Amino acid sequence: MTNRTAQKKKSQTQTKGKGSGAKRKPSRRRDRPGFAAFAIGAVVLVVLGMVGFSLYNHVKTPSTPGTSASVRVVREVTSVPPATLDSVGAGSGVSAPKALPPGTPPIESGGKPLVLYVGAEYCPYCAAERWATVVALSRFGDFSGLGLTTSSSTDIFPSTRTLTFHGSTYTSDLIVFEGVETQSNKLSATGSYESLDTPTAEQQQLFSTYNSGGGIPFLLIGNKYVVSGSSFQPDVLQGKSWQEIASALSDPSSEIARQVLGAANTITAAICTLTNGQPSNVCTSSGVTAAASTLPPAS
Amino acid sequence: MNRPSWVGTTTFVLALAGLGVAAYLTIVHYVSPKLLVCNASGVVNCEQVTTSRESMFFGIPVALLGLIWFVMMALLCSPRAWRSGSRRIEVARMGVVVAGMAFVLWLVYAELYRIRAICLWCTAVHLIAFGLFVLVLLYGRATAPEG
Repeated sequence: MTNRTAQKKKSQTQTKGKGSGAKRKPSRRRDRPGFAAFAIGAVVLVVLGMVGFSLYNHVKTPSTPGTSASVRVVREVTSVPPATLDSVGAGSGVSAPKALPPGTPPIESGGKPLVLYVGAEYCPYCAAERWATVVALSRFGDFSGLGLTTSSSTDIFPSTRTLTFHGSTYTSDLIVFEGVETQSNKLSATGSYESLDTPTAEQQQLFSTYNSGGGIPFLLIGNKYVVSGSSFQPDVLQGKSWQEIASALSDPSSEIARQVLGAANTITAAICTLTNGQPSNVCTSSGVTAAASTLPPAS
Repeated sequence: MNRPSWVGTTTFVLALAGLGVAAYLTIVHYVSPKLLVCNASGVVNCEQVTTSRESMFFGIPVALLGLIWFVMMALLCSPRAWRSGSRRIEVARMGVVVAGMAFVLWLVYAELYRIRAICLWCTAVHLIAFGLFVLVLLYGRATAPEG
């Protein structure tokens, strides 16, 4: 149909209409370029707004407690390439989580499976476990507010560089994660480490029920698995800066990657038993599948 | 005002270009993210985007949805479709392009705020989709609007 024919038809239709309607139609047509421009402008503004706000946040973040270096470290740890994780698979020197006994009731928060971490900043084994835990959890959701810290300078594996869950938040469509750092790495006047997060009654109850030894780090993976103590020895991180550790995670042949990412794949495989294998691209990846074969059968 | 003659050709070429990129991303999704020719560290990180949770939409790969969308756009923006002047095709073209643009906005949001990484190939697809959106909105009717 040519434009002229179309216009003619339109004109005929308008002539058949009632008087007022026939008068309004041309003005509506004149409005259309304005509407198109408005729609296009709205899309441009929305995109510019999103980009601008994102850039603003990006620039603003370093001025908050973290530094630009810490932002870079956190970004590298929370975005380890899947190909690197697949290359490492189950890794080396990694202890698998223990399966909880059959009949363990569902452990949930807000209708989602709960992953609970309890540890302390001074604790060197917690320092090691956090790297793997953050890598694993970042495959199911997003962290914000993760900070950097070190283990105690006077304990075994002194000043092991690590991340801290204190002050961080985690969002996921699949699971709920609660990270509790009970104490800092600073000694108070009384000779004990300063208090940080106080576990809720529910968290304390879970810690007491599923961690008979009472040690930290403690990682409860729903009603399926539990990690008591670190999944690998912290000595692999000794003397390394945060950036050196974070950078090593992108090299699957490095000893740090083999241990941290091996543990991360194992924790990921354990979490996948809670999420019915979702996200599928994570839970069916070769690294997670390899690590899953090292897990004891879940209840 | 008549629709400029270049609009039909341009939208068809844009749809075919988008089809090519979307096909590439779909192949990468099903074969291996290693096939992606793109940076894999820092803010620009295609692999992080194409393997993220947001790369699936109700269990369907977003790359595949993009491929289907560009197939529809290529059909709706083919020279024959433009020549037909069919009202149904106009409505379908407008509806599909608006739905596609809305989805692109969601994907841009997901890249910036959820994944916190940008995929250059995806950005190319988004720009092509935006180009189609602009042209179809401005010239999508058989009778171009009066100024």
